[in-house]
Amino acid sequence: MSGAAASAKPDYSTYPTLDRKARRAAAAALLAMEGGGAPASAADLARIEAFYRMEARLLDEEFYDRWYDLLADDLFYWMPLRENRFRRDNRPSLSADNMAMFDETKADIAVRLGRLASNLVWTEDPPTRHVYLISNVEAFETGTTGEYEVHSAFVQYRNRSEHDEAQLVGRRRDLLRMVGDRIEVAGRLILFPQSVLLTKNLSAFF
Amino acid sequence: MSINVSGLVDWQRGHIDRRIFWDPAIYEQELERVFARSWLFVAHESQIEEPGAFVTTYMAQDNVIVARASDRSIKVFLNSCPHRGNRVCFADSGQGRQFTCNYHGWAFGLDGALKRMPKMALYKATPGFRMEDWGLKRARVESYKGLVFATFDEEAPSLGDWLGDFRWYLDAVLDVEEGGTEFLPGGATRSVMNCNWKFPADNFVGDIYHALWTHLGGSEPTLGRHGGVIVENERSWQVSVNGHGWEFNDSFLGNAATMGDREMLRYMKSRQEAITARLGEFRAKMWGSVASANIFPNFSFLPGYFTFRTFQPKGPTKTEIHAWTLVPKNMPDDIKDRFRRGSMRTFSPSGLLEMDDGENWEHSTAANAGFVTRNQRLCYAMAPEGELDDDSLPGTVTLGQLSDANQRLFYKKWAEMMNAETWQDIPLEKPAAPAEAAE
Repeated sequence: MSGAAASAKPDYSTYPTLDRKARRAAAAALLAMEGGGAPASAADLARIEAFYRMEARLLDEEFYDRWYDLLADDLFYWMPLRENRFRRDNRPSLSADNMAMFDETKADIAVRLGRLASNLVWTEDPPTRHVYLISNVEAFETGTTGEYEVHSAFVQYRNRSEHDEAQLVGRRRDLLRMVGDRIEVAGRLILFPQSVLLTKNLSAFF
Repeated sequence: MSINVSGLVDWQRGHIDRRIFWDPAIYEQELERVFARSWLFVAHESQIEEPGAFVTTYMAQDNVIVARASDRSIKVFLNSCPHRGNRVCFADSGQGRQFTCNYHGWAFGLDGALKRMPKMALYKATPGFRMEDWGLKRARVESYKGLVFATFDEEAPSLGDWLGDFRWYLDAVLDVEEGGTEFLPGGATRSVMNCNWKFPADNFVGDIYHALWTHLGGSEPTLGRHGGVIVENERSWQVSVNGHGWEFNDSFLGNAATMGDREMLRYMKSRQEAITARLGEFRAKMWGSVASANIFPNFSFLPGYFTFRTFQPKGPTKTEIHAWTLVPKNMPDDIKDRFRRGSMRTFSPSGLLEMDDGENWEHSTAANAGFVTRNQRLCYAMAPEGELDDDSLPGTVTLGQLSDANQRLFYKKWAEMMNAETWQDIPLEKPAAPAEAAE
């Protein structure tokens, strides 16, 4: 995603992606995460928390190429819409077939980073300033060795121009994968509590 | 005392006074004279298919319930209990038999009529009290090819007269396939912008010009350096009917191409022959072309992405965008899903293209806090290549999609409605749609 690469259009169709069946399966796995597994060891939890601190800093400081490298090739990155519904409503509240704010594979994220790298995005110039806080981290083992179900909460404060600010607060459910000494994000469900987004856009990553 | 806006809108020259974008008194007059008179989009029939299904939405700042009654008719009524005024429904959508107010338990049917309340005998014994006087206030409801509109104005002309010959163009997105259209499931993406509602509305009614600059970065990743979107005044048009407007070219899938999904484009091309047979060559090419449109006052859509959205006014400097994606019902499921992702990834609050727009509209609005600034007029002067004055296309047709023609006609209609005391003072163009219009 370097500036030099912007002169040639990358062929995003060759980037890692998921078909619809795989996206639906990934969504179902994220929705099923209820913290039922054995808690991760203290050492693994500490590694995961350190990973989140690093990830937040990379995003705050716009090291997008390095952040992109933290994403697994089979990433499913999802922020479904939240609707106000009565408790008696028997429709599933979240579905992979519904409209969403983010419904992304790794290739889709690459397109977003390509947009930012184009240097033609006037709404990010001068840049937005972000501070991203991650908290309430709980990690659980899954049926697969090296994969962890991780719940966390976030606050993303952003400010641009003079008075333009927003606090984006929510929860995340991640599927993290430990590959050697690396950690990759393989799945991310972003549960954003606003049914009406109370700011003009989601020009940010979570 | 109403404000005469003639001095604020010189639609012939395209000089617009910025006061119309910030003045609270102008805004209040808009609620009364523009929104409360217009046919406003409230739902797509597919959102409420079965009796008992409902959605809640806004008609300007009036919250309303849109419900499918037991006789399958669609009813629209105020979401405000006539007893103490509380909302009677807090869900965005759902299914039920009645709406019960949380405050005292007054219950209303799917047609908005008052059905019962706790201690009903006390009311039965109240002199002069009649249940039928205290239902939820009902609007007039009419549909055009799946799109449901409503108005509380008893004097307003029919929806058919209001849309007029714009219907002939609307068929290029609403009637491309047998079986009609639907909104994709999951509700609307909704977001707030600190802008006057007219900036996004005038953008959609006739401003492709901004795409060449605003969206350079957004279209770069899928289309290459400098967007690759071809916007010329060759083979492109603006059409306007009663303030509704559509600017477009004949590229068939120019807008759709920016979503960067080859399977989707392959599918669209595979349908071109059948759509041409249905709508004729000219309108078939409008289906997914480089285009945008607005149904007066605040219901917009983009051919190709098929995002349909309302710009809900929330005050002179605040607007809420509600957006859905419309597809032909008989489109294959996999292609519908591609449109779901494609429209969301371009035109939603996280969309690669929509993210560029909000900041423009917010600062166009906020700048008017300055006294000197607000006294500068805005330039809507760009002339079209020419006018089409034969009768081959309905409405006011100008040549070249790069011009401010539709926006001037939008403000002409706006000024007519703002100044009019009654509907007698609001001229509507007589429909004369060509015979080839699809039924």
